[in-house]
Amino acid sequence: MKAIMIIFNQAHTERVEYLLDRLEIRGYTLWENVQGRGSITGVPHLSTHTWPEINKSLLTVVDDDIADTVLEKVKRIDAISEEVGIRAFVWDILKTV
Amino acid sequence: MSIYSSSVNRPVTTILVFIGAMVIGLYSLTRLPVDLYPEMELPFIAVYSMYPGASASDIESNVTRPLEDAVNSVTNLKEMTSSTSDGIAVLLLNFEYGTNLDEASNDVRSSLSFIENYLPEGCEKPTIMKFNSSMMPIVYYSITADESYQGLEKILDEKIVNPLNRIEGVGAVSLAGVPGRKVYIDVDPRKMEAYNLTIEQIGNILRAENMNLPAGYLEMGKTDYPLRIQGEFPESDVLKDIVVTSVNGQSIFLKDVAEVRDTIRETKLDTRLNGAKGMSMYIQKQSGGNTVKVTKEVEEALAELAKDLPPDVQIQKLFDSATFIKDSISNLTETLMYAGIFVILVVLFFLGRWRATLIVIVTIPISLLVAFIYLFITGESINIISLTSLSIAIGMVVDDAIVVLENITKHVERGSRPREAAIYATNEVWLAVLVATLTVVAVFFPLTFVTGLTGVLFKQLGMIVTITIITSVIAAITLTPTMSALLLKWYPIKENASFWTYDGSIRKALDWLDGIYEKLLRWALHHKRLVVISAFIIFLGSMLLLKFIDTEFFPEADESRITATVELQTGTRVEETVRVADRITSLLQEKYPEITLISSSAGADEEGGFASLFGGGGTHSISYNIRLLPVEERTKTMWDLTEEIRGDLAGIPEVVDFTLNSSGGFALGSTTVDVEVYGYNISETNIVAEQLAEKMRSIEGARDVTISRDKSKPELQIIFDQNKMMANGLNTATVATAVRNRVDGMTATQLRQFGDEYDVVVRFKKDAVATLTDIENIGITNPLGQVIRLGEIAEVKETMSPPSIERKRRERVVTVSFTPYKKSLTKLQAEVEQAISDTDIPSGVMLQVGGAIEDQTESFMDIAFLIVVSLILVYLVMASQFESLRIPFIIMFSIPFAFSGVAIALFLTNTTLSIISAIGAVMLIGIVVKNAIVLVDFINLMRDRDHEVYEAIEISGKSRLRPVLMTSATTILGMLPLALSTGSGSELWSPMGISVIGGLIFSTLVTLVLVPVVYAIFSKHGERAKKLALYSEMDFFNGNGNDDQ
Repeated sequence: MKAIMIIFNQAHTERVEYLLDRLEIRGYTLWENVQGRGSITGVPHLSTHTWPEINKSLLTVVDDDIADTVLEKVKRIDAISEEVGIRAFVWDILKTV
Repeated sequence: MSIYSSSVNRPVTTILVFIGAMVIGLYSLTRLPVDLYPEMELPFIAVYSMYPGASASDIESNVTRPLEDAVNSVTNLKEMTSSTSDGIAVLLLNFEYGTNLDEASNDVRSSLSFIENYLPEGCEKPTIMKFNSSMMPIVYYSITADESYQGLEKILDEKIVNPLNRIEGVGAVSLAGVPGRKVYIDVDPRKMEAYNLTIEQIGNILRAENMNLPAGYLEMGKTDYPLRIQGEFPESDVLKDIVVTSVNGQSIFLKDVAEVRDTIRETKLDTRLNGAKGMSMYIQKQSGGNTVKVTKEVEEALAELAKDLPPDVQIQKLFDSATFIKDSISNLTETLMYAGIFVILVVLFFLGRWRATLIVIVTIPISLLVAFIYLFITGESINIISLTSLSIAIGMVVDDAIVVLENITKHVERGSRPREAAIYATNEVWLAVLVATLTVVAVFFPLTFVTGLTGVLFKQLGMIVTITIITSVIAAITLTPTMSALLLKWYPIKENASFWTYDGSIRKALDWLDGIYEKLLRWALHHKRLVVISAFIIFLGSMLLLKFIDTEFFPEADESRITATVELQTGTRVEETVRVADRITSLLQEKYPEITLISSSAGADEEGGFASLFGGGGTHSISYNIRLLPVEERTKTMWDLTEEIRGDLAGIPEVVDFTLNSSGGFALGSTTVDVEVYGYNISETNIVAEQLAEKMRSIEGARDVTISRDKSKPELQIIFDQNKMMANGLNTATVATAVRNRVDGMTATQLRQFGDEYDVVVRFKKDAVATLTDIENIGITNPLGQVIRLGEIAEVKETMSPPSIERKRRERVVTVSFTPYKKSLTKLQAEVEQAISDTDIPSGVMLQVGGAIEDQTESFMDIAFLIVVSLILVYLVMASQFESLRIPFIIMFSIPFAFSGVAIALFLTNTTLSIISAIGAVMLIGIVVKNAIVLVDFINLMRDRDHEVYEAIEISGKSRLRPVLMTSATTILGMLPLALSTGSGSELWSPMGISVIGGLIFSTLVTLVLVPVVYAIFSKHGERAKKLALYSEMDFFNGNGNDDQ
């Protein structure tokens, strides 16, 4: 089991929703209006007058074999428009109840 | 959920809401009446009181003054003038605009009730009369006839007037100069005296003969017959054979002593149409009626009714206000259409995308139709003010949609899907859009608070622009994102597109322009001092131009109609006046092909009723109503023609004085320059007035110098010798009535035919009372049956009758006035004041300048106040948006250059500075600031994104050039048709277009350079304060130990 956190510009919302549906990932948790700044490229997404863009962040826990597919698809989404911005981070799940 | 995301998510609802608004707007549009100006109640109330037999000066002290004192304290009374002539006092009360006249007339009535009892006995109770703009006739017809002239009154009454009166919306149909029928018994005084008869006897005999009487009932068998005596004259021919007396057993018939003429009423008014004998008919509408609709219906009905008239009766339209209204309205509608087309083209040019253009321009019909809903709900009409307002708004309503769309496009181009881009991009800009609109509203809304006449006109302008702009903002943040989500598609920009595509030509040109501008900005930022100084010089220089710009109160419109009053020597007989009138008419007809119709009326109608109460007139005056070809079909303007006609009239020796008025039916305020001479002593004020008039005639550009006080009129007075009268057993009443019956005539009885009554007048035949001797020879029979000659008991003397007395502000006044011709009021004012100071003024006489100059000064004060209010409001709005007191100040640097632009545009086009062009300047405050807001807001943004000041300015300049140029271009081109229009009535609004265009072009150019420079100057020192504070607080990062403290 892996936990994948996808943090994306809200402009990507529909694409991310489509990704989850296509990969038949049912469970996820979503936070809206998340602020952040990329480590290397891109503009800050702070929902201010200066930096008006804003992110959403999504946490989903999937089987190990899907994790790489998700990452690959996220990379493809990012390729559509790098300026919009989407990132995914994966870590292990030790236990669930 | 925000309004824009809900509307994007519910596109059907959003679109249908706007379609619903458009449908209601279209419905309102079909229901709106069409008129020239917004409905306004003319704030006048007249009070008049008759005092038969009293002289003007008696009435002045006993009636006029008490009335004035009583009414003076009524609230909202602005000015009071009065005119007192023999037998009548008329007070004209001028209230402030917007006064409720019902309340005012109640106040006047109650004030009058206090003094009614103190008025002299024999003086009638004062009557109150209200004026209304619907009292102005909307159509004048002129009617001519040959054979049917005699019976014209009856024909018209039955076949035209009554049917027309039945049309809905028609208030009244009146005839003037009608040839009424009368039966004249012209008695030969010698024959009458030979048979021992008097006028009174003949009259009484006629009265006694002309009667019907029920004489009871006759019961015969089973039937009850009413008995009637039928003695009434069936026709006028019977009169001739009436026995008036018998001498030596022989009957003397009326025809033996008199001539019986059944003819048309003798009148001292002679109405002609193009020189042919005629009369005029005018139609008033009901209050609130639709002028254009009523006129159309009247015309249709008249065309149908005219078929039943005898073939020689010709009805011709002399003037109708509907034509001018229709022309102006269709002209403006065209203007509006062109403005719409231009705006669409501009949007297409800058965006280069059909879909984007469509999304932006749908805001135009929506905003305009919502304005019609407002007009419909408030009961206003479509008029030149409301249509002009729409033309002004049309270029501005797309601005908000453009800003929103531009941002959405930016997101789409970056790869967002249109639906999401629509929501997030709107989120980014909606506040800025709202504030930019608020600044415009801050300028237009105060227009609704202007008082006075200008206020009546500009209230609609302010309201309509405010409403359309607010509607456009609402559409921009709901409909524009919704439609973008549905329609926008992303096309990659082709770098190597062929020249014939948009990307290959226009876009490249615009990119090139962006580059040029960036270089220009860089240069300007490194030559700040030079830029600021040259801007200052340009501003000062343009303000100097103001000296060469003429001022005017209100631009006059060429209504293709001239009215003129020509006065001959006072006391000229009407026949002589008619002869001169004919000569002038034929002269004008030959010389000016531009004239299509001349209607003249010479003399005065004693039975004119209402009109004669106020009009001066007399047998010596001729009034002309001249209709010209439509503006488009002639080269000379109405004013040029007026001036040429003035020259012609001055060349006619019989003409003593003349006034030509080119502002037709509806004058906005007064058009003449008046100098009021106050003073009690009539001869002193007369002398001053004469001197002033003489000086004014020498002023260049002063035409039609007139003195309001009438010249004294020659009259014959009969002065009785009381002793001789007593000795002959006569008294004044008997003799006076006798003289009146013989000269003016005695209405003995009425001839009744077909339900109408015609007066039968017994009098001396005309050639028996033609000289002074004839009057002295009038015989009056005394109670003893002796005939006494008037010359034996009275003396006939020729005197000059005193003039009527005019008063203003409860003092006697003479007004010396003139019409300005091609010269500004400002220059004239200086010369008039010079003339006044040159005049020798006796003590007790006071001079004051009034009329157009006074109105103009008042209105310009209003505008100046408006500018101050607008500036403050705009500053407030901006300060709150930027949360800064400094930035609005920077932005407002563009405003002075708007005024420079106005001055330059007015100077180049040789337009006057009038209320209209000044209002254009006021509007600019809001429009111009919008550009600078867009620019400065973006510079701020760039600086927040950590760009250096200069860098931020250059980036912003490059990025914002297109939106700034685009919004300016839509506003400028939207106004262009308004400014260029030459059709009917265009004089009224084109100055506004000219000043807005000039101001906007100039200030846009200056804004693009000067505002960034001023920004740079101001921000050099006050660096990002918040960051500096943090920097010093967290100094330990720099290895400095401020944490030790």
